Amino acid sequence: MMISEKLPSQIEIIPAFILKVKEELKSLSVQREDVHDIALCLHEALVNAIKHGNRFSPDLEVEVRLEADADRLTVTVKDQGQGFDYTRVPDPTKPDNLEKTSGRGVFLVKRLMDRVDFSDEGRGITMTKFFKKRR
Amino acid sequence: MNIRQEKQNNVLICAVEGEININNSPDLRKAFDGMFKQDEKKVLVDFAKVDYIDSSGLATLIEMLQRLKKIGGTLRFCNMDQKVLNVFEVTKLHKLFEIFETQEAALKGF
Repeated sequence: MMISEKLPSQIEIIPAFILKVKEELKSLSVQREDVHDIALCLHEALVNAIKHGNRFSPDLEVEVRLEADADRLTVTVKDQGQGFDYTRVPDPTKPDNLEKTSGRGVFLVKRLMDRVDFSDEGRGITMTKFFKKRR
Repeated sequence: MNIRQEKQNNVLICAVEGEININNSPDLRKAFDGMFKQDEKKVLVDFAKVDYIDSSGLATLIEMLQRLKKIGGTLRFCNMDQKVLNVFEVTKLHKLFEIFETQEAALKGF
């Protein structure tokens, strides 16, 4: 499976794109739990790229590329914004941050995917999920 | 997302159906606004038909909790799918919210 697309900076386009990815993953017989985690992390990465990266600019695009085989899926999301310091993302699980209403997107991605790398000063994120084997 | 509301004794039960995400969080917030206008102080959100929640949905629920706390209210959740519960556990929000396995358990002592 390989999907490579350039998306406009609109939150509204996310559900249809995620649905397409979920259908592809189901055809690869990926387990429901993995499909859920991948969909959520892709969703969070796209929201960050559109909202915080491109700041909803109609002139900027989000590049997304997914590659999957029988064992794993790797997804890269790139925006055209200012980037961010990914080494200084506060831990939302600390008691002082627990009631904050923001700052959980990147954290969820780091916890639910198996490998996460940032690139281009935070404009790019590459996430990998190794599929659970069926028992 | 659909939200069905039902009152049992003094508790307003909100059965949410579908995904809770950045696209429909405003609808959930609007439903909560309506509850505040009706002066509801005991709210139980039933997650039985929720199969997905993102960080925006979590944020909306935190807002709801904070607003209810300010007026001395209580917010409880029940019937969470394991995948949804995992999102609360990973973010440690299961420590912030009162989460029950069943509606019956959540209504007990409310």
